[in-house]
Order: sequence, then C-alpha cells, then structure tokens
Amino acid sequence: MTSAPTNDIEFRSVTKRYGAVTAVSDINLAVPKGAFVALLGPSGCGKTTCLRMIGGFEQPTEGEVLIAGNVANGVPAYRRPVNMVFQQYALFPHFDVEQNVAYGLKQLRPRLPAAEISRRVGEALEMVRLSGFSKRRIHEMSGGQQQRVALARALVNKPSVLLLDEPLAALDKKLRTAMQIELQTLQRDLGITFVLVTHDQEEALSMSDLVCVMSAGSIRQLATPQEVYDRPADLFVADFVGKTNRFDGTMEAGGMVRLGNGSALASGRTDLAPGAVTVALRPEAIRLSRQAGATTLEGTVTHRIFLGSAAEYSVAVDGLGDFLITAERQSQSENDLVAPGERVAISFDPGTAHIFPA
Amino acid sequence: MSKWFRENAPISARDLTEEFMRLKRGSVTRRHFLGVTGLGLAAAVLARQPGLFSSEAYAAEDLGSAMSLATWPNYHDPATFEAFTAATGVAVEVNVFGSNEEMLAKLQAGGTGWDLFVPTNYTISTYVSLGLIDPIDLAKVPNFDPKTQNTRFTNEGTVDGKVFALPKNWGTTGIAFNSDKVKSPVTSWKEFFEVAMTEADGRAMVHDYQLTTIGNALVSLGFSFNSVKPEELAKAEELLIKVKPHLYAINSDYQPSMRASDAWMTMCWTNDGAQLNRDIPEIQFVLGTDGGEIWSDFYAVPTSAANKPAGYALLNFLMDPQNAVKEHVANGAPTTDSRVLSLLPAEITGNKIVYPDEAALTPLEFGAAVTLTDPARAELMARFKSA
Amino acid sequence: MPLTMTTKRRLVTTALLAPASVWLFVFLVLPFIAMMVFSVGERGPAGGYQTAFTFAQYANLPARSAAYWNTLMLAPVGAFVCLIVAYPTAYYLAVKANPRYRLLLVSLVVVPFWTSLLVRTYAWMYILGSRGIPNLLDMIGIEDVRLLNTPGAVLLGIVYGYLPLMIMPIYVSLEKLDRRLLEASADLGAKPVSTFFSVTLPLSLPGVMTGVALVTILLLGEYLIPQLLGGGKVFFIGNALVDLFLQSRNWPFGSAIAVTLVAIVVVVLMVAMRIAWRISGTRQVDLV
Repeated sequence: MTSAPTNDIEFRSVTKRYGAVTAVSDINLAVPKGAFVALLGPSGCGKTTCLRMIGGFEQPTEGEVLIAGNVANGVPAYRRPVNMVFQQYALFPHFDVEQNVAYGLKQLRPRLPAAEISRRVGEALEMVRLSGFSKRRIHEMSGGQQQRVALARALVNKPSVLLLDEPLAALDKKLRTAMQIELQTLQRDLGITFVLVTHDQEEALSMSDLVCVMSAGSIRQLATPQEVYDRPADLFVADFVGKTNRFDGTMEAGGMVRLGNGSALASGRTDLAPGAVTVALRPEAIRLSRQAGATTLEGTVTHRIFLGSAAEYSVAVDGLGDFLITAERQSQSENDLVAPGERVAISFDPGTAHIFPA
Repeated sequence: MSKWFRENAPISARDLTEEFMRLKRGSVTRRHFLGVTGLGLAAAVLARQPGLFSSEAYAAEDLGSAMSLATWPNYHDPATFEAFTAATGVAVEVNVFGSNEEMLAKLQAGGTGWDLFVPTNYTISTYVSLGLIDPIDLAKVPNFDPKTQNTRFTNEGTVDGKVFALPKNWGTTGIAFNSDKVKSPVTSWKEFFEVAMTEADGRAMVHDYQLTTIGNALVSLGFSFNSVKPEELAKAEELLIKVKPHLYAINSDYQPSMRASDAWMTMCWTNDGAQLNRDIPEIQFVLGTDGGEIWSDFYAVPTSAANKPAGYALLNFLMDPQNAVKEHVANGAPTTDSRVLSLLPAEITGNKIVYPDEAALTPLEFGAAVTLTDPARAELMARFKSA
Repeated sequence: MPLTMTTKRRLVTTALLAPASVWLFVFLVLPFIAMMVFSVGERGPAGGYQTAFTFAQYANLPARSAAYWNTLMLAPVGAFVCLIVAYPTAYYLAVKANPRYRLLLVSLVVVPFWTSLLVRTYAWMYILGSRGIPNLLDMIGIEDVRLLNTPGAVLLGIVYGYLPLMIMPIYVSLEKLDRRLLEASADLGAKPVSTFFSVTLPLSLPGVMTGVALVTILLLGEYLIPQLLGGGKVFFIGNALVDLFLQSRNWPFGSAIAVTLVAIVVVVLMVAMRIAWRISGTRQVDLV
C-alpha cells in the first residue's frame, strides 16, 4: 500500500511523437491535488496533447502519465477518473440538456436508480445555474449556456480532475470574464483539480494557481501567475506572458550591462557570463517624465493610446529603439498626459529589468 | 496457371466479351426481355457508308440515305444489309424487339420511324384493322412471286383480298431438351410439363410470352393452342401455377441457359432449336405430338413509315432468292419460297428440325389473332408470373 | 423605365430557374397528369387507351395484389439487408480507414456504379450460373448446385446493385460526425459499444434514413434484377407495369398501378422524413 499521493496528475519524462513530428518532448510535470493549473502556450506548443494524454485520447510514446498516483498509460478514456470540457463543448446534439448531463451517470455500473440520476442531474444543473433548462435542445441554447451544460456534464460524475480545453474561446469578452470568475469559484467550492488549456495569457494568469508555460513541446516555466509575470524564466516566457520591451546589451564585469546607446545598467546579476544579453522590461516598470535627468534615457513620444485609468505610450528612445510604456494617471488633468511629439525622459529601477543571455 | 484451371474457370475474358457483345447486339432475349430493358431501342447501324455505285434498278426513285427496320434479334445475316447498302447507298438501321406485343405497342404509341418491320402471322389482321400498316404495292416488289410461295404459310399476309405483308420464313414452337440430363421421353407438351416437375425439376424453362406458354399448357391438357374459353384457360392456369415452383425460369431467352446446362429443357423456336442442336448435339428439338404452334413471320410497311421507297427497296432486295437464301442459311428458319428452297444446301433442307415431316406438323396450329388482344390471356399470364 | 434592383434580381432568378422548371414540367408534371388521365380511362379493344371516366382500373388493382405484396415485401427487406452490409462498410471507410487511402476506397465503392447495372447484373448471371460458382463447387465434388434464378440470387443482386446508394449517405453522415462527440462519450465513461449505440448510430441516422428511403423507393420500381437473376419467376410492380404497357397494352390499368406506386413512394418518403426529424431533433435533414 502506498501513501496517498499528493499529486493528482504527474508527467514523468513524457514524450509524444506523431511519426517524425514530436509534439511533446520529455515533459515532467506534477499537479498537486486541488490545484488550478493552466497550460499556457501558443498553438502547436503541445499543451492540448498533454491534456489529451491526461484524458486518455492520446497515449504517450515514452514516459508515464500518472493520475492519482497510478500509471494511466494504456488505460482507455472511459476508465479514467477525469472528465473534460471540450473545445466548442462537444455536446450531444440529439439529446436535450438533461440527457446530456445524465450521460455520464448512465454509464455507471451497477446502474444508478433513475431517481438518483435525476437528482444528481438536477444538482449539477443548479450548480451551473441552468435549472429549468433541462428539456431544452442544445441548438436552442446560447454559447454561454452551452458552456455551462458542458461543465455540468463533465462535473456530474464527480471527477477527481476536470480538464478544460480552451473552454472560453468561443465566448465574447464580457461573458468570458464572467465565466472566468465562475470557474474559479466552482473550482474552489468543489476542491478538485482543474487543468485548463489556453493560449490566452490573461485567462491563465487570472484563474489559475499555477501556470505552466509551454513552447515547442517543452515546459518553459511552471510557477504561480505572479512569479511567471514578475520573474519569467526565459525570454520566451517574458515575451509570451504580458507585454515586454526587449533590447540588446552586453554584460560586462560586475553585473554592468552596457546598452546600445552607450549607457550602462547596474543589473546586479553577477551569475551571468560576460557577453551579449537581452534585457526585458515590463511597460509598467518604466517611468516617464517631461524633465530630463542625468541617469535617464531620452526619447520622443510617437503614439499614445488612452486607456482611461492609464495611458500607453510608444516612445522612440534615442539609440535603443521603440519602447512601450504604460503610465498610470496621477490625476485627472490634461497635463497628466504626454502628447505625441513631446520629448520625454524615461527611467526604471534596474531591479525590474530581466536580463537573459542572448 | 495450368491449362486445366483456365479451361474450368467460371468465364474466360473472351466468353465475357462475347456475351457482352451479344448483349449489345440485343440478342439477350428472343421475345420479351429486350424490349423490357429498353435495349431494344438501342439501334445498331450496320452500314453507314453510302454504296460505291447505285444500280439502275434502284435509280428511278430517290431512296434517301438511311432507313429503319424493326425485326427480331439474330434474325438476319448482317452481310445482307451491307450488300443492300452497297447496291443502293441506303444505310439500314436495325431495331430489334422482344415480342409482337411490343412492336404493336410501339406502333400504337406512334413515332417509331420504322420503314419496314417483321410481324408474325396472327398479328397482321389486327394491324390492318387498326390501320397501322399499308397494303403492299406489289408493283414495287418485282422479286416477289406469289406462285412460288407455299400458301399454307403466307395466306395470313392477305386480309380482305388485299396483300398487307410478304412472307419472310415460317417455323414451329417445339421442345428442346438436353438428352444427357433428361432421360425420360419428351415427345409431347403433356410430357414436357410432367418432366418439368419431376426429372427436370428446377431445370425447365417456359417463355415469357402468353401465346406459347399458355398455348402449350392448353395443348398439354387437350385443348386448342388458341383457346380463350374461360374454363379451359382456368385449367391451363391451374397447371401453370402448379408447375411454376419447379421451373428454372420464365424467360424467352433460353439459349444461354441451355448452352450452359443451367436449364435442361425449354420451349423453343425452330431457328434456336436448329442452332442449339448444331452446336450441342445432345440438345434435341422435338415437336409436341399433341400439338403446339406453327408460325410464319412477314415483312410489312407501317403506314407511318417516313421513307417508304427505301422500305420497298429493301423488301424487294430481300425477296430476291439469291439474297433470301443467305438469310435462311444464317438464321436457320425454313423458307416459304420454293425458289429459295431449291437453292438451299441439302444439309439444311434435310434437317428434320428445320423441315419436319408433314405428319409432325399436322397437330400444330397457327396462332390466332384473338390471343393478341384477349385481356383474359394477358391477365392469366400476369397471375402466373406473380404467383 | 429603368428596372429596380429587386426586379432585376427577380428576373435573373426566373431566368436561371426557367430551364429546370420547364424540364420538370415537361418531363415530370405533364407525364404524371397524362398518367392520371389515363388511369381513369378504358383500354381500347386492341389495347392502348380510350377516353372514359371510370375508377374501374383502380377497382381492379387487387388483380396485381401479388405484385404489390412482393414489392412491398422486397423493398424494405432489400433495403434492410443493404443497410446491414452498408453500415459496417461506411463505418470502416469514414472512421477506421487510413485517410491516405480513403479516397481510393470510396472510389472503389462508387466506380462500379458508373457501369450499367444491366451489365453488372449480367456478370452475376455468370458468377451464379453453372459455369460460375456451381462449376467450382463441382470441382470439389458438390454437384448440381443451382444458385441462379433463386430468391437468394435476387436478394444478392439487389444488395449488390444498390449498395453504393446505401453506403454513400451513411458514409457522408459518419464522415461529418464530430469526432469530439465520440471522445466526449468515452470521456464520460461510455465503452466503445455504448458510444456506438448512444452517439454514432443516432447521429448517423439521417444518412441511414436517406439510404433506406433511396433504396426502398428505387426498389419499389425495380424489375431488372428479378427478371435477370430471378428467372422472371419473381414478379414486382415494375414487371407488372412493363407487361401492361409493352405486352398487353393496357395503358389505363398500367397508369392506375403507376399512380398508386407514386402515392406509395410519397408516403414512404414522408414517413422516412418524419422519423429522421424526430431522431435527429432538427428539420435540417436532407432526404434524397
């Protein structure tokens, strides 16, 4: 007898190949019980393949996938204690809402009594606030309602892990935000593991406890949303998650980075070998002012996008190229905004700059 | 692959091609099926090139460049039409049909385009009464000589003293059986139906043709071949329905089945009987001692014909004994013309299938016009086939 | 006066539809009207049609009750056997076959259809005739087997002849079936067999119904295969019609039978559409 596993999902050196194409390459991943994990990455990064390997729709070429501590390799989808909310929901068009939700329960052996099925379907529909829709046909439901049916259908069997494949992609922005909150609440209430696949970094950051950033079949970083944002593991993560200004520099002795315009940046990074580096800087980490100072860079504002509480500027920095800068508004005066064409000085805390070997 | 295997293969490529060509020519069925499939409409244009010269005999009238003939499958020598085209410049389009009923149906419906066609004796009076055929202008058929014709076979071409059709050939409807398979004597229609239910169970064929199938059933019961008496027809129907489960097929295209030994016994027309016996000697042809059909086929000109001069030209050409003899050698049916008879080789005139002894012909009857239009016989046939 | 856009568009639509409408009218509506008129007429003394107004032809329909019975039995049975053979084939083509060879395999189903059914049925006469399979059986000592001109031969010919018409609609409906629905079913714990009966089969039913309706309707008018492979001993409405028009020349009775057959076809089609609608839950079902 083994001790109760602490991880609901575990990937051990998992590789998945389709012929000559490697979709997932030597992945190790552990998803703790009750976590909300987002697999984030551009299309083709292998995130969906990972999800499908958990669901049982794909089998790893190498390595092991564990579900609740048991090796799941070779176990067909219908024997796995996980359920999935499919992209575009994959609801059964020939069934009504109730029949869709009851589907999983009807597969259970020994058979559940009809009353029990009906009670649990009722609960599930209530949970997604769709009571009263049970006799509706799927094509009579809106996109958001279909999304809830899919959730109810996947949750009715009380899976230990819920898989969500781009569940919000088909919804408009307002509905998407509402569903993000709803999904988070649901996960917290149910206390089960959620694994979400998305290409939308905002969705990943806002909902999940852990973000797993993937690219080209490998995991680039597995960390909390805040850590992924604030301390991206590499340039890809920095680029993919949130907005980033990148510029080239040269690492010199003592952690000094020499920039393209000749100025130097005290990075404090003594761990990096001298040589070419890339500096990444978040737009909101940069301050913008009208007065020039001795330690600052200078440039000309080329565009301004007004966002209400903040403004986004595009600034051509002398000797370094275009920068994107987000500036919170301090007051509601017109003077608070800088107009295109104005000369500005920019400055930042060297600690907020991320330095990666080029 | 061994030769043995190839010889025993279900069907060789050559056989299949042959059969397919046969199908294309339209000889799949003798009397009925062809028309049913619509293939009868698929006309074979035998010769399209105009003749190299035109003989003076045909120069008097403008014959046009094409004409249309409606006839039976495998009933002519293709060389005949080639020779006609060479002599006149008129190409002959040949349409083949499965039954007299079908030819009548087409002419009644109109728009056939036929300039000459080949009806059987018992149908001619009906064509005349419906006004579907012209009296023959004998002046245009100098090759026809009424004095050399055997009137026994040709008198039905004359209706109310007027000649409406000129004879092509005569024939009989008898029994063909494979003597390797059927050992019981088959000499009458009575025996035909008995053997069909016993020794040849599942191996006998009757025509898909009311005249012969009902007629021979009537004969086997001792009634007239042409009876339309309700009580006699009822007895014939009873017999046919009793026999039906034992039959191999109800189909007038019996040659392929007989040749393949799928069928062992069938109702059979003279010319088919002669051909089968010539190729497969164990297939014998006999006439019923209790009766059966004797018939003659004619040429007639439809009232609706578009190119009557060419129709007459072909008719006159076919009445020339030199041409007619080739036709008779090719299709194996007996001639009505003593001039032709004298030209035929002895192995044909001596063939008892083609020219039976007079005693064998005595019990036979010509088909009667009434059977063609009698609804009771048509309905009986339908009940027999659907039983 | 200049034409408005709407008028122009209408004129264009009319112009585009005109050939089809004329074709339909001349070759479908007019003949049907003629058939209706004939069906209340009388047979002429030597056959054909003669003007009258009587329902005697319809009253006489029981005279072909055997043909109706045979046809109404054969059509659904033939369609059902076709379905039994076609469904696994279509399933294999649409779901299991390697996509690389799918087109090739589908063509293998369709290509024979480009050859005349008459020729292909004729080939069966050889395969089943004594020079065919019975000859092979003879070689291994089984003698005098008769396959041709049996009800089994007719059924075989029908299944063979109509199989592509059954496979194709089922193939299409299976091919456009969303694979994620099958995954969803498995995900929810359904074993493959259960998935097939709960998801695949119901969702391919429009294709099944199309195939069944198509084959049934065509079988209602079938006469060639029974004639060739049944030795003319099997008599269907199609055979009755051919005999009435081309042999006994009883046009009015033939017309009455044809009109009744059309009525039966319409009923079959309506019932099939109803069933398909009910099962698939939408009215977006293309039948035929």
